[in-house]
Amino acid sequence: MSGTSQPDQLPPIHSFLTTRPQTTLSRLYARPSACLAVFRLLDDVARQIVMSLLWLDSKTGVDLTAWVSPSETARKHYTAAVLGLVRLHIAKEGSGRILILPAFQAGLRRALTGGGEHRSFGVPYLTAGGKDQMTTEQLDDYALERWESILHFMVSSGSSIGRVPPPSNAVIYLLRRSGLMASIGGERNPDSRITSQGFQFLLEDSHTQLWDLLLQYLAMSEDQGRDLVEVIGFLFMLGSMQLGQEYSTENLSDTQKVMLQDFLDYGLIYRRDPEDHTRFYPTRLATTLTSTSSLAFTSSKHEKAASSEGFIILETNYRLYAYTENPLQIAVLNLFITLHSRFENLVVGRLTRESIKGALANGITADQIISYLTVHAHPMMHKNNPILPVTVQDQIRLWELENNRLQSDNGYLYEDFNSQGDFDLVLSYAKQLDVVLWESREKRKMFVREDGHENVREFIRRRAEAS
Amino acid sequence: MPPKRSAEGSSAPTPTKRQRRGLPAQSAGLDNPQYDVPLSDDEPLEDLDLVSDVGDDASSTDNIAADSLIPRGAKLNLSALARKARQYERGARADLVSHMFGDQDFAYLQLKGDHTSRPLWIDPVDGHIILEGFSPIAEQAQDFLVAISEPVSRPSFIHEYKLTAYSLYAAVSVGLETEDIIEVLNRLSKVPLPENVISYIRSCTMSYGKVKLVLKHNKYFVESTHPEILQTLLRDQEIRSARVVPGSGGAYEVANGANGGKTKKLLHSTETGSGKGSKAGTPAPGSGAATPMQKPGQAEADLFTSVVGVDQDEIEEDDENTVSFQIMDDKIDDVKKRCHDLDFPVLEEYDFRNDTVNANLDIDLKPITVIRPYQEKSLSKMFGNGRARSGIIVLPCGAGKTLVGITAACTIKKSTLVLCTSTVSVMQWKQQFMQWSNITDRQISVFTAEQKEKFSGAAGIVVSTYSMVANTRNRSYESQKMMDFLTSREWGFILLDEVHVVPAQMFRRVVTTIKAHAKLGLTATLVREDNKIDDLNYMIGPKLYEANWMDLAAKGHIANVQCAEVWCPMTPEFYREYLREKPRRRMLLYCMNPNKFQACQFLIDYHERRGDKIIVFSDNVFALEAYAKKLSKPFIHGATAQVERMRVLQNFQHNPVVNTIFLSKVGDTSIDLPEATCLIQISSHFGSRRQEAQRLGRILRAKRRNDEGFNAFFYSLVSKDTQEMYYSTKRQQFLIDQGYAFKVITQLEGLHQMSNLVYKTPSEQIELLQSVLIANESALDFSGSDLMGLQGEQGQKARKSAQKYEAKRAVGSLGALSGAQHMSYIERNKTANRQLAREANSNRHKLFKKRDVAKKQANAG
Repeated sequence: MSGTSQPDQLPPIHSFLTTRPQTTLSRLYARPSACLAVFRLLDDVARQIVMSLLWLDSKTGVDLTAWVSPSETARKHYTAAVLGLVRLHIAKEGSGRILILPAFQAGLRRALTGGGEHRSFGVPYLTAGGKDQMTTEQLDDYALERWESILHFMVSSGSSIGRVPPPSNAVIYLLRRSGLMASIGGERNPDSRITSQGFQFLLEDSHTQLWDLLLQYLAMSEDQGRDLVEVIGFLFMLGSMQLGQEYSTENLSDTQKVMLQDFLDYGLIYRRDPEDHTRFYPTRLATTLTSTSSLAFTSSKHEKAASSEGFIILETNYRLYAYTENPLQIAVLNLFITLHSRFENLVVGRLTRESIKGALANGITADQIISYLTVHAHPMMHKNNPILPVTVQDQIRLWELENNRLQSDNGYLYEDFNSQGDFDLVLSYAKQLDVVLWESREKRKMFVREDGHENVREFIRRRAEAS
Repeated sequence: MPPKRSAEGSSAPTPTKRQRRGLPAQSAGLDNPQYDVPLSDDEPLEDLDLVSDVGDDASSTDNIAADSLIPRGAKLNLSALARKARQYERGARADLVSHMFGDQDFAYLQLKGDHTSRPLWIDPVDGHIILEGFSPIAEQAQDFLVAISEPVSRPSFIHEYKLTAYSLYAAVSVGLETEDIIEVLNRLSKVPLPENVISYIRSCTMSYGKVKLVLKHNKYFVESTHPEILQTLLRDQEIRSARVVPGSGGAYEVANGANGGKTKKLLHSTETGSGKGSKAGTPAPGSGAATPMQKPGQAEADLFTSVVGVDQDEIEEDDENTVSFQIMDDKIDDVKKRCHDLDFPVLEEYDFRNDTVNANLDIDLKPITVIRPYQEKSLSKMFGNGRARSGIIVLPCGAGKTLVGITAACTIKKSTLVLCTSTVSVMQWKQQFMQWSNITDRQISVFTAEQKEKFSGAAGIVVSTYSMVANTRNRSYESQKMMDFLTSREWGFILLDEVHVVPAQMFRRVVTTIKAHAKLGLTATLVREDNKIDDLNYMIGPKLYEANWMDLAAKGHIANVQCAEVWCPMTPEFYREYLREKPRRRMLLYCMNPNKFQACQFLIDYHERRGDKIIVFSDNVFALEAYAKKLSKPFIHGATAQVERMRVLQNFQHNPVVNTIFLSKVGDTSIDLPEATCLIQISSHFGSRRQEAQRLGRILRAKRRNDEGFNAFFYSLVSKDTQEMYYSTKRQQFLIDQGYAFKVITQLEGLHQMSNLVYKTPSEQIELLQSVLIANESALDFSGSDLMGLQGEQGQKARKSAQKYEAKRAVGSLGALSGAQHMSYIERNKTANRQLAREANSNRHKLFKKRDVAKKQANAG
C-alpha cells in the first residue's frame, strides 16, 4: 500500500506478465509506451539495472555484481531484481553477466528519445479553442463518482435498504467473475451479493482495487479471445497519457475501441459527448495506472482532507471518530463499526463485539480491519506508537479468536482392537510418529492424524501378517 | 441579588461576558423589573403543574420521590428535541448512507466557514457535545464544558460531554448565565447551535439559581430576588405547609428592622427598584440581636394551617431585591424536593464572612501546605462569589480530596463537621487536619463508637461517620449526649466524604438533623448503578467540579496505571459444575477457579519480587479467606476487629515482610495506603463501575508515583466463559471512558514454571471443588454478609453477633435481640472490650500472663 513496493514483490500487473509467453511480451515491447510503463512499475534496483544497461550495445552482457555492496540485504535486493527482470523477459542472465534483451531495449530507447510513427502514447485530439476543455477537477469528480458508485454498489448489496443503482451489466459481470460478488440464486438472476472476498477488496486502497479489477479484465479479455497485447498495450497507453488532455480514437484498433467503451463504466475514460466516439479524456484513474505511488489518485480534491491524510481516530474506549463526508467511506466503516451519529464532516461510531463479529462473519479478517484503521488513521493518531491503541487491536483479534475455538483435524479412528496388548503396541508406535490426536485406553480407541494413517495402517498390517 | 459571576475567568472566556452585559438579557436581568417575562415565555408547563398539584395534594408527594427528581421541563424537552430533529431531517438531503444513522444523521447542520478553528460539535438530539481534544483552544473549551455539562468520556483525542438538566443547574449555580452559556457554546461549535439545544438550555437555566436556601440564625429561609417565584412556590400546598408563618407582627417587624430590611406586601414588591443600596442577601452586622426575637415566629409554626390565601401572605424582605420566607427545619428536605419538582431547584449559599452569629474558628493552612492547581480550581468554583456554595467536588481517588476539604474548612473558618464512611477514615481525616492545618488537638474531636469527645471552645471540628450520626436506633447515653451537641449547634460547614456510597435514606437523616450553612460532598466516582446519584443533586447541591483523570496522571498528580484483565480458563471440572449450579453458587465457582488461584499466586509472587506492595481484593469473604489462607497472607474483612485491622494495615505499611494483604469490600474506599503499587482483583460486585474505579483509586496515590517510569498495576482476574466476563466489561466502562485502557492477558508467561504452584494436580483441584460445593449458603454472599458499610455502634453490634453466630449458632445473639437493647452502651462495649483484650492477652509474653493471673486472683481475694 505504500509508495515503494517490496523488492521481492512484483506489482500485480508484472506478476501477470511473467506468466505470459515470451512472444507475447516481445510483441508488447514493440510499443514504446508499454516499455515505459513496465519500466516505471519496476522497483528501484531493477530500474537502476535497466538504466545502466539501456545504452550499452554489448552482445555478451555485463557483470554488475561489482556494483552491489557486499551486505547481505543489498545482495538479496539485487538478485531479486535480476530475477524479476529475467521473468519479465527484459533481460537475460548467464554466468553472472546480464544482457538486456533487444526488444525491450529498442522499445524503451524509443520511448525516451521520442520520435517515430508508433503513436503508442495516444494521439491528442486537437481542438480549435481551449475554452471547452475539461478541467482536471471536473475529470476527478467524474472519475471518483464513477468508481465509488461501483464500490458503493458492492457495499450496499449486502443490506436490503439503501441500495445503490447498479452499474452496467458488464461491470457486474466482471465483479461476479472475479468472485467479488456472487449472484443470489441462478446465474441469470440479476441480483448479486457481495462475497467475503469482496469485503476484503473494499478495505484495500483504490490503486490496488483498480489493478485487481483490471487483471480480472485482462483474464476475461483473454478468454474472449482478444489479443492480450492489444489490451495490455492500451492500458499502458492510458497510463502514459496526460490528464486534462483530450485524445483522439483514430489510431485505436477495434479491440481498443471496445475497451474504451468498457472503461467508461469504471470512470477511467470520460467522453464529453457520449455519442461522439472519436475522442475521449483519460481521467486520473487511468493516467496514474502505471504510477507506483498509490497516493497519486487519491490526492484529488474530494479526498484531500480525508483520505490522503487519514481520517480515523480510534480511542481506547472503542469509540471511533471519522472525519469524512464520503458516503463510500462511511459505508465501508459500517462494515465493522456500529455507527452512532453523523455530522457534516464527522462520523461517530463504536467498535463493538457485535459489529466486529458481523464483519468476521462476512469474511473480513481482524488483520484487515486493523490494517484499514492503521492506514487511514488520522494524523493525530500518528503521535501514538503504535498508531492504534494496543488494547483495541488485541480485542479485535480476541474477538476473531472466539470464532476459532474449535480446531478441526482430519484423521482416522482406530477401534476394535483384539486385545489390550495390540492396542498398546499400536498406540506406542503411533506416538513415536507423533500422530495421535486422541486416545482412550478404556474404549481401545484412538484417533490418528491423516498424515500418519498410512504408516499406522502399514504397521498393523505387518503385525497381522507376522502373527 | 444576581448571582455574581465566579471570580476566576477560566470557567468561561471573559470577552463574551462583556459583550453580553449590555444586551437586554431576558434571563436573570436584575435591573429588569419585569421578572415575569421569562416565565410567561415558557410553555404553560408551570401553570398546568400547579393546577394538578393543588388538586391531588398529599398523594403526589409519594409519587415524586421515585423519579421526578429530574426537572419536568428537562424531560419533556428532550423528547421534543428528538421529534424536532426528525422533522428537520425529513427536509434535509438524504444521501446513500443516511439510513445507517436513523435519527442521528445531522449532516444537515451546515458547518461554519471557519469550522476548523472551532473545537466542537453539538448533537441536537441528545445534547451530546463532541470535543476535539487536540484543538488549540481545547483546554479552555474543556474548562467551560466541565462547568456546563457532564463529561461522558475523556480519552486522549476526542472527548464527549453531555448537556443535562443537572449540569446546567450546576453551571447556573456557579454563576454562569444563560446567554453566556449559549454564546460561548455557539462560538466554540463548528455547527450553528441547533435551535432546540438553545431552547433546552434556556428552559433548564431559566428557573435555576433563582431560589436560594439560606440558613440564618439557626433558621432556614427560602430566598429569591424574584418575588413572583416565591409566590409561585407558596402556591404549592406542600411548601405552604412547610412555611413558618410570622406570628406577632411586632416581633416580626422589629426583627426586620434589625436586619436593615423592610416589610412589604408582596403585591407591592415590584416597586422596590428604588431601595437602599445596601449589600444583598446578607444579614447586616449586629443582626445577632434579632435572633431571640425571631423565636416567637417559630413557636407559632403550628399555625401554618391558618394561612388563608397566598396573596395576603407577607413575605419577608431583606433589602430591596431579596425576598424570603422561613420554613420549618424538618420540612427542609421536602421543600427542596418540591422546589426541584416545580423546576425551581434551590441553591444553598452561605455568606460566611458576614456571619457574626457563629463563632469563628481559628484555623489556617500551615505555610508548608501546597495546593495543586486543580484543587484551587475546584475550590474557586465553590467560593466563586465570596460565599460558600453547597455542592459536590469530584476528584479521582488519591488526588487530594482531603486537602480540598481541609482548605475549604480553612476558608470558611467556622465550626465544621466531617462525616466519612468508616472509623479508619475518621482517624485519617483527623490526622490530615493536624498535618495540613494549624488546628490544635483540643479543637478537633472525633465521634465514633469508641470515642466520643467534644471540642473545647466556641468553635471546632468534629469528625464522625455517617452511621453514627444517622443512627435512629437507641443510642447509648454518651452518644445521645453527643448527638444533642451536634444537632443543637449551627454548623458553618459540613464535609461529606465519599458521598457516592451513602444510601439516600441515611443522607436525608444527616442533612435534616444537622444544621449546616454550607455542604461540600467529595467523591471520586459520581456513578451508581442504581442512579441514586441524582438524589445527591438536591440533597447536597450541584456538581461544582470534576477533574480529568488522564490530565492529572499526565501531570504526575496521580500515578500512571497499567490496567490488565487476566483471562483464566475454567478447569473442566469447575466448568461442569458451573453449568449445573444455580447462579449464586456459580459466582463462588468462578472465583475459586484453580486457574485463577494460580494466576493470583503467580502475580503476587512476580510483583513481590519486583518490590511492589500488593492489595488483593475479593468481594466474597469465603474466597477471600480461602485465598489468603492458602497463600498465607494477612487479610481484613468486615468481621475483622478494629484493632486487628489496624495491626494488619500497619504491618503492611511498615513491615518489609508483609507485602501483600487481602481486603474485602472494606478496603474499597477511604483506606489510605500510599505504599500499595499493585492491585489484584479476584472477585467483585457484579458490574459496579464505581467499585472498579474506587479500587483503582487505592493505587493512584502511590508514594513512588513520581519515580521515573513508574507504573502502578491493576489486574482484574476473570474466569473465562463465565458471567464474570460480561460483568468485567461493564465494570471497566467508567475507567475506559476516563481514558484508561485494559489490556487483555490470555496467558501469563512462566506461570507453569512456578515450583510451588497451588492446586497443580487434578486431585487437589477436585478437593477444592468439593469444598466449594459444600460451602454453606452464607459463603455465597457477595453483597450483604460483609459488614463493611456498618461502622460505629451498629457495625460493632453486627460484627459481634456475627462472630457469636459462628461460634455457637443462635444462643448468643438472642440476648442481644431481646432486652439487651435497653442495656446501657457501656455494658455492650465491655463485651467487645473483653474480646479485644483476649486477643491482646494472647500476644503477651508468658511472663506477663502469669502476672495478669496473679493480679486477678489478688483482686478476687
